[in-house]
Amino acid sequence: MLKVLAALAVGAALAGVASVAVVNVAAPTAEPPNKPLYNYGDR
Amino acid sequence: MWRPFRFAWSGLAGRDGAARGPVFARLGPALVGLALGLLALWPALGPGFALRYDMVFVPEQPVRLPEGFPRAVPSDQVVALLSAVVPAEIVQKAILLGLFVLAASGAGALVGDALSPRAAHGDAGRDASGPGGTPLVGGGGARGPRGAGARRADGAGARALAPTGLGSGGTGVLVAPLAAAAFYAWNAYLAQRLLIGQWALLLGYAGLPWAVRAAARGGAARLAVALLPAAVGGFQAMLVSALTVLPVAALRGLPRRPGPESRGRATTVAGAGAGRGAHAGSRRGARARTVLSRGRQGVCRAWRRLRRFPGLRRHLGELHRRHVRSPGASPALSSVSSPGPSSVLSSVATPLAVVVVLSLPWLVPALVSTADAVADPAGVTAFAPRADGPFGTLGSLLTLGGIWNSHAAVPGQDMPALAAARLALTLVAIAGFVRLGSARLGSVRRPAWWRGLAVAACAGLLIACAGAFAPGVPRALIGWWAGFGPLRDGQAYVAPLALAQAMGVAVAVTALRAAMPAPVAVAALAVPVLVLPTFALGAFGRLGTAEYPEEWRRVQAVVNGDPAPGALLSLPWSAYRAFSWNGGRVVLDPATKMFSRPVVWNDALVVGAGGGRLIRVAEESPRARRVGALLAGPATAPLTGALRREGVRYVLAAGVDENTFLSRLPGATPVYRGAELLLVRV
Repeated sequence: MLKVLAALAVGAALAGVASVAVVNVAAPTAEPPNKPLYNYGDR
Repeated sequence: MWRPFRFAWSGLAGRDGAARGPVFARLGPALVGLALGLLALWPALGPGFALRYDMVFVPEQPVRLPEGFPRAVPSDQVVALLSAVVPAEIVQKAILLGLFVLAASGAGALVGDALSPRAAHGDAGRDASGPGGTPLVGGGGARGPRGAGARRADGAGARALAPTGLGSGGTGVLVAPLAAAAFYAWNAYLAQRLLIGQWALLLGYAGLPWAVRAAARGGAARLAVALLPAAVGGFQAMLVSALTVLPVAALRGLPRRPGPESRGRATTVAGAGAGRGAHAGSRRGARARTVLSRGRQGVCRAWRRLRRFPGLRRHLGELHRRHVRSPGASPALSSVSSPGPSSVLSSVATPLAVVVVLSLPWLVPALVSTADAVADPAGVTAFAPRADGPFGTLGSLLTLGGIWNSHAAVPGQDMPALAAARLALTLVAIAGFVRLGSARLGSVRRPAWWRGLAVAACAGLLIACAGAFAPGVPRALIGWWAGFGPLRDGQAYVAPLALAQAMGVAVAVTALRAAMPAPVAVAALAVPVLVLPTFALGAFGRLGTAEYPEEWRRVQAVVNGDPAPGALLSLPWSAYRAFSWNGGRVVLDPATKMFSRPVVWNDALVVGAGGGRLIRVAEESPRARRVGALLAGPATAPLTGALRREGVRYVLAAGVDENTFLSRLPGATPVYRGAELLLVRV
């Protein structure tokens, strides 16, 4: 029973962290401007 | 319970496993892959093209060989051929979704081989049947009517025969492939490479489990079929596959190290082989008989060790019995019947030949082009792995991330809590993989591919680490011979580590199932998604669709309708664009793929290194170098004559400010002038 409760706690914590991440990322962010030239990327 | 859900649950949990277990064992991983693919790609599955970084699909793509290093050979040609039959945007969506299905089904099949090949093919029910043929729950009954499974069924059987099929090995053997599938189809490696648009590399990644399986089983035809996705993907996909397949083929035949457990396994497997007379020559059979008694002792010792883990022992031991009993045990699981180390070279010869033959489409042009192409060693610094979380570069690589481009990281990936969860999952996965190959598992045989996959995972990690921690090594190699150029993006070679971790996750879930009720093990399938949740929905908008503006189609029609020879020069002189109609997403110049004539474009790469510093990786195409030098001349110098001498017939300038370029082309004829594009015939 203790193991199951521990698993439930871990699962709930994971779900909570995942929810926070999703909420943060889902918030609108500014799109990059229209550029005719662009780097391949930034490190 | 809603009927479809009830069916799905009973399949997962192993109830009526004889009938439904095999179906779920075969289709379950593919369905998991399909579901995860839909979740990850959802915004990219709408009308239009998903364009991001190196992922460029264009309508009516012509079949054409590129200049310079054949980076997109034969992937572009295959897409062009498919696009002649099916609309290109459908081809793209099928490929992207297929990646997830192929990866997940392959991981599931590989772990199915390792843990329960017979259960996956219908023996679960037979083995689990009691004397009267009544299926006991899952695999528990394989120990016979007096086994623990029977006791559970006879006794408080309410729990053992609960609707979920608890207390059975069936759950473990069904959930384990699903867990491997979920992990392999949802991790940072796949997400980052998708966000940088390297779908061709991901073809190799997706086919990797199938290739490993085929290499372990042997047979050139089987391996060739398994390597087809990588062959279509091209050089990077084939290199990653070769890195994995060749060690697997070389090491599948190595004898185990002497030890009580291995002697025990040798005896049992050799006995099974003698029984079916399929392999093991007389000398090997005699040797096996001489160690028979010692082997028995080894098995007994292994069982005693595993008493501390009764649940795990129950599951794994039952699976072992199936392997030994089954006359059709997969050769992929038998390493005793394979040749010794003296024949490692011969083991590798056939897979190497298959790899080389399938690589010819890009290998021949690459070898020809390297005579005058240059691989800039600066690429090592530009494309070295980077830390994308709080655990440094090594931590990022171990958790399958660490791609060089910060824009390819999954949003929110660097959150400490999520990164810690991924690291914990990685450690569990590695422990599971080590345990799979450890003699401590006792009666479960180490899969024939285990050693090779372990070597490939370590080698891939070393290659990736070299770019970050010892960049002088790849830089010197690339400087010595341009053929080492693919080493510069070392993080790509972490793919076999991802597969090894997927196998480890399956072992961990099997152990979890042994210690906990089935719902906990089933819920564990969601862990890969929970530790990387922001990969969903196209990484929350990083992947999306866009329609090409009509003027691109008009320009394409004009250029491709002109039978006169001559190349097209694409301006502005930079490889990547961020079009407003594509949501500002960065994408490789579509002109590189849209036209049926050679396209001269700037294949130099500019990478921001922080603090305003730029790393410039030089052009690889000789003609691009020459034209680049022309364009870098005085801003008012006429170019028409020089471009004609370079074989240029058209100049395509994209961008609102590029019309000013017309003044440098006296005597040239504007053919099309639109809001965004200017096409000039030189």
